[in-house]
Amino acid sequence: MDDLLLSKIRLGIIAELLACEWLAFSELQRTLGSTQGNLGAHLAKLVDAGYVDEEKTFVNRRPLTRYRLTSTGRNAFVQHVSQLQELLKATS
Amino acid sequence: MDARDLSGDGLEAERAREHLEMVDRILAESSQRLCYGAEYFIVWGLFSGIATAIYQLIGNGVLPVWALNAVLVMLIACVAFTILRGRGHGAQRRGRSVVQREFFNVLIIAIGLAIVVNALGFNLFSNWAQSAIWTFAESAVLFFIAVHGNARAWIAGAVMIVSLAAANFSPASVAGYVLAAGMILGYAGFGVAESLARD
Repeated sequence: MDDLLLSKIRLGIIAELLACEWLAFSELQRTLGSTQGNLGAHLAKLVDAGYVDEEKTFVNRRPLTRYRLTSTGRNAFVQHVSQLQELLKATS
Repeated sequence: MDARDLSGDGLEAERAREHLEMVDRILAESSQRLCYGAEYFIVWGLFSGIATAIYQLIGNGVLPVWALNAVLVMLIACVAFTILRGRGHGAQRRGRSVVQREFFNVLIIAIGLAIVVNALGFNLFSNWAQSAIWTFAESAVLFFIAVHGNARAWIAGAVMIVSLAAANFSPASVAGYVLAAGMILGYAGFGVAESLARD
């Protein structure tokens, strides 16, 4: 089991990024309903682990931070979900 | 969101189920999250409808043949608008989903093919065949949106197909007007309806 993905919010971040090319911080915050500080801390852990790429740019002179799932993160997510499913099968 | 963690040693089945349900919900919502510019539909619907009406007016002798130049100018303007607007969307704050990318692929392929087929096969597709190709391409885009859960797109696509069938049984002097009405009501009308729905 991937310790990093045992957190529900980090698992949610990965799931949100799975269907997107890039997703802005504000969009993640809106969809996950998390506070700025909490989300930022969880994203930093995912970035440090190489699960997520971070890009800081400017759009219309406003700073924009956006995120993308890496292949490492995608593989970790697939494996983690598979293990969760196996756990459920074993207990049912 | 509840940020409770699953503890490594005491992994509970209930929590695992909760996490999987959350993943399922997020993925289901993501697959339906399709954002498209209503303005594309208004612009292309109006262009194709007006162009078809101009063909009919020329065919009926109401307008001179050189009026076709207006269609060419409108086409160039629409292509330029689509490219510039598409670039603008790419730079927007909102992330672009996979289904979003698929929508733009369908839009570009359908409209692009209609332009290319009409340009290369103008000797093959006589009379209203070229307009019928436009109707087919535009309805394909609408039905792509419709299968992602948009009821208005089903109606708009159906309007276009019905206009095609109606034009098929109409006299040659009005067939173009029927097709044009389908394009404006179905395609541009869908764009207007989406704009109003978002407001």
